[in-house]
Amino acid sequence: MKFRMKRKFSIKKKFLVWLLFLGFFFLLFFTQSQFGQEAKPAEQSKALKPEKTPEKIIPSPSNIKEATGIYVFLAWMWLSIIVLIYFLRLKIKEVDRLHRMGYFSEKKK
Amino acid sequence: MRMGIQSWFDERFGISAIMEFLRKKTVPQHKHTIWYYTGSSILFFFVVQVITGFMLAFYYKPTLEEANKSVARIMTEVPLGWIIRSVHFWSASFMIALVFIHLIGIWLVKSYRKPRELTWMSGVFLLIVTLLFGFTGYLLPWDDLSLSATKVGTDIPRSIPVIGAWVTQFLRGGEDVTGDTLSRFFSFHICILPIFVLLIIAIHIYLIQKQGMSLPLAAEIKEEKVREIPFWPNFVYREMIVWLILGGVLFSLAVFFPPSLDKQADLMAPAPQGIKPEWYFLFLFQTLKIFPAKILFVSGVSVAALLIALAGILFFFLPFIDNRPSGKKGKILTLFAYTLIAYAVAMTAWSLWR
Repeated sequence: MKFRMKRKFSIKKKFLVWLLFLGFFFLLFFTQSQFGQEAKPAEQSKALKPEKTPEKIIPSPSNIKEATGIYVFLAWMWLSIIVLIYFLRLKIKEVDRLHRMGYFSEKKK
Repeated sequence: MRMGIQSWFDERFGISAIMEFLRKKTVPQHKHTIWYYTGSSILFFFVVQVITGFMLAFYYKPTLEEANKSVARIMTEVPLGWIIRSVHFWSASFMIALVFIHLIGIWLVKSYRKPRELTWMSGVFLLIVTLLFGFTGYLLPWDDLSLSATKVGTDIPRSIPVIGAWVTQFLRGGEDVTGDTLSRFFSFHICILPIFVLLIIAIHIYLIQKQGMSLPLAAEIKEEKVREIPFWPNFVYREMIVWLILGGVLFSLAVFFPPSLDKQADLMAPAPQGIKPEWYFLFLFQTLKIFPAKILFVSGVSVAALLIALAGILFFFLPFIDNRPSGKKGKILTLFAYTLIAYAVAMTAWSLWR
């Protein structure tokens, strides 16, 4: 039994588990801080704003909710593109076959 | 019910006649067909530019005090404003790159020859207007870099004899780059240039319909029969695949590499180090830089500006320089096109990694 357990959790897998654990830990930390910022009352956030415009603005999602939304949207967008391309390729095959058969020219007559 | 509505609109718009025309219109299928997709891709990016441009114009304020702040507001406060700006930025780059690729492709396959001279010339006009879109749009965020780059850019025409000083004054709306330049560039960017571009696109598309799509040289020389497919729906479906991929790449780049915004420009501050224009002007910028300050008794910048203007004129009148029958190969001009591509790439790389 012990031997089997050892084989199940090889060094590679252990490393992956640790990596995932650390990833989740930092993600949780990041999420907490981001939600904390979002929860700030409007007056307080206004008062915290500097008078001068910052030196350089590097755009990014303003909070974890927006970031997650964007990345999920990106994933869905690429999935939809792949599915649409698949259907369009089927349509192309079909209309090319109809064109070879002379379907469109017959329709014209 | 659906058929009733369809026939109601058909009677008034003549949609079936348009569809019939599109079905009759054919597109040649050969190994160079890929060039045909660049034209419609440019139109795709133009539509994206118009839509995102409208969205940005809702919040942008073209005044000295508000321009930079309004862009900062778009990027930080407006929901998903930074993505809209990023899509606008990347779409402009894609559009300009594709206009360059489209024109070079036409040059390589010699499609500008009789009877398509005017189609080529309208295409070169489109390139100029697209570059002007980029140039005028670059100043609008009103940050340090855009101000300095515009100062350099609007100063170049001054070296052209006789009309140079007037052109610079016209572009700037005065002697220097000020708030007047900003409002002038904004008007050009959202009113004057769009009217020009729509007009030229209409002429360009009409000419393509009138003259038809060109065949590759090999097919023209051998007078061989090339396979053709109907524009609607066979070619449009293929174009849709290209638009989908380009749209996906555009949005992904916009999310992962959004453009930043520097601090508000100060008219009294000295120019920052390492001023560079956008990538599409870099080869011209580097060309100007490699010329010495003085050539005999004339300014080096004047000589460079005149040479660039001359090259532009030759490029515009290319169909009249190479006015041989369409079957001839024109090897020297093909070699010249490759040399030009190599020069532009080398100069851009030199400017980037300096």
